[in-house]
Amino acid sequence: MDDRVRPLCCCEYFDGNNERSHILLCCCNCVDLDEGFESLITGQGFPDRNRSRLMATIQDRLRIPWRGGAKQVAFDAILPVIILPTMFLLAAISLWWTVFSFTAVAVILVSVFKFFIRTIPRTKFFIVWTVTSIIILYIIFEFLVIPLLEILVEENIFLTILFAGFLLCFYLMKIRNNTLGKIGESEAESGYVGSYNRCSICQVVVPEKDHHCVWFDCCVGRHNQCLFVLALFFAIASLLYSSNLTLTSVCHPFIVYKSILLPDDCSDVYQQFELGLSFVAAIYSLGLAAFLLMLFLHQILLVSLGLTSKEWRNLSFCAKCFLGLCSKRPHSLGFVKNWSRIMCSNKTYSNIAYSH
Amino acid sequence: MSLVKNVNRSMTTKCILIVCSVIALIAIYWPARHARHYDYIDLADVYDELLFVHVKTNKPNLKYCDYEDVIVNNSDVDVEEVVEQRRFYRPKNGGEYIPRTCNPLLKVAVIVPYRNRSQQLDVFLNYMHNFLQKQLIVYRIFVVNQTDNLPFNRAKMLNYGAKVAMDMDFPCLILHDVDLLPLNSGNIYSCSKKPRHMSSSLDTFRFNLPYLTLFGGAVAISSEHFQGINGMSNQFYGWGGEDDDFYRRLEIHSLLPYRFTPIISKYTMLFHKKEKASPSRYAMLEKSVALHRMDGLSSLPANYSVKSEKLYTLVMAS
Repeated sequence: MDDRVRPLCCCEYFDGNNERSHILLCCCNCVDLDEGFESLITGQGFPDRNRSRLMATIQDRLRIPWRGGAKQVAFDAILPVIILPTMFLLAAISLWWTVFSFTAVAVILVSVFKFFIRTIPRTKFFIVWTVTSIIILYIIFEFLVIPLLEILVEENIFLTILFAGFLLCFYLMKIRNNTLGKIGESEAESGYVGSYNRCSICQVVVPEKDHHCVWFDCCVGRHNQCLFVLALFFAIASLLYSSNLTLTSVCHPFIVYKSILLPDDCSDVYQQFELGLSFVAAIYSLGLAAFLLMLFLHQILLVSLGLTSKEWRNLSFCAKCFLGLCSKRPHSLGFVKNWSRIMCSNKTYSNIAYSH
Repeated sequence: MSLVKNVNRSMTTKCILIVCSVIALIAIYWPARHARHYDYIDLADVYDELLFVHVKTNKPNLKYCDYEDVIVNNSDVDVEEVVEQRRFYRPKNGGEYIPRTCNPLLKVAVIVPYRNRSQQLDVFLNYMHNFLQKQLIVYRIFVVNQTDNLPFNRAKMLNYGAKVAMDMDFPCLILHDVDLLPLNSGNIYSCSKKPRHMSSSLDTFRFNLPYLTLFGGAVAISSEHFQGINGMSNQFYGWGGEDDDFYRRLEIHSLLPYRFTPIISKYTMLFHKKEKASPSRYAMLEKSVALHRMDGLSSLPANYSVKSEKLYTLVMAS
């Protein structure tokens, strides 16, 4: 059977020279690497031509198995899948490792945030970070903390309901963003009052765009802001609850009020690796919850004031200290109307959607 | 034609996905993977379960002690206060106390297996004397010290303590770990119609019960029942599982234990070490349970000595 006609297995692909190749051959036969090292060893340095061709080959060969042929993954998208598990495994060794691991990763995140936003605006790094975090935290909770036999079924189910609420809001938010397309432009044509911004990352016109959230890879505007706020609320609630359950199981708990427990002594937590890993996951959840809480409060403030993120950024520092109450807010309709606008906007939105 | 095939294929993949996720959900939320809910005796019914005995005293004219009051008017102790110094009446030599303000109807032997944990023992004695005296029961604390260098054999030490206590005519045995302290004053230390697992609401387990057949920590069993099952096995050196063997022996004799309401069954563990609760330890148990008539109180070697200390009776055994 002709080579070209035979269907690709999940690990095979057509490389840059349109030849059939396999994932297992990723480390074999790289001409540019050989030439480059030869000239390096003979003292002539690594030539730029070989360097650029080497980077291209690496990007071409970096693939994951997929049905119908191996798919290329961008390096920036694969990075969180390497960083996060390494961070957790290192942090579970001892307290100093935890501190070191988390600070190192925080530094990496901040520098990556500044770097990628400028160079690769449409990067998938952050959404992959979010998804990987969710998967790791869920696996650690269900397969390391639950087998300690200290959590009741109802507590697990309640946590799952909060988590499912978050997933639902997240999913609906992305759906609304995807169906935005022509609807935003038609609204702009019909002269609807409000600002219209084009998002360079989403490539659509967003009515009253608040900001583009990289962590959810989604634009937040009037059409899905209430879902965004709800998603943040569910995320914070489930992170706080799961970290409470984990910490009271892994550390020594005490009763605060009736059946509310809090941990009070975590000194033995690094004696066993599973306990250390669960503890580290709980600390990460708390940090994540703190970050999301800031976003949540910021969103509540902006919606109450009727400002968008861009308008808030343009305010002076003094105006921000007064929480923007004294500044001009051209698009604000008052506290109550601001909130009802984002909550009831889905009705007008879906009417327009159906009329098309 | 191929369109219909494609639609069918996507329908089957959807079905398979749904079935797989339902199976995964059932596997993840299976109740046995979590802490269990258990049947227990409510607070109002606890008094009726107690086994009262006639206690010989010097003052038979006193009114009987009111245990219903002790149980119903219970109060919790804060965990931080557990290590504080407490005041209690000095017990007789050997750690025995008889209430003086009323005529007691309960007589228990508190048996504590022990080796090389003097700090925990001090806290235990200080707390338990004060705690038990408030319950208006006759009690005596037996500390059974393992003197050899083999791994700690908790069950064998409990057998020795039980033997000494039964020789001293105690109808009720409380088998108690030295690092467990009761947190509620209504937790009456006495025997009941069936053996009782006292420490069902332990703080290191988030006050939940990890698995239904857990039977370690603090147990109340009458001397009659303990004698009937030939005590505990003497074979469990170091390795856990002696409490599961104990449970199996009770099961064979149709004496399955029960628990009282978690309101009064709260305990704290001193110097909390975290150990993973592993309910699947039945490999060695099959063999040991079959031989239980030959392994236990009846096969206990006679090398032990009894000495009366100020706050407890010391049994040195190996």
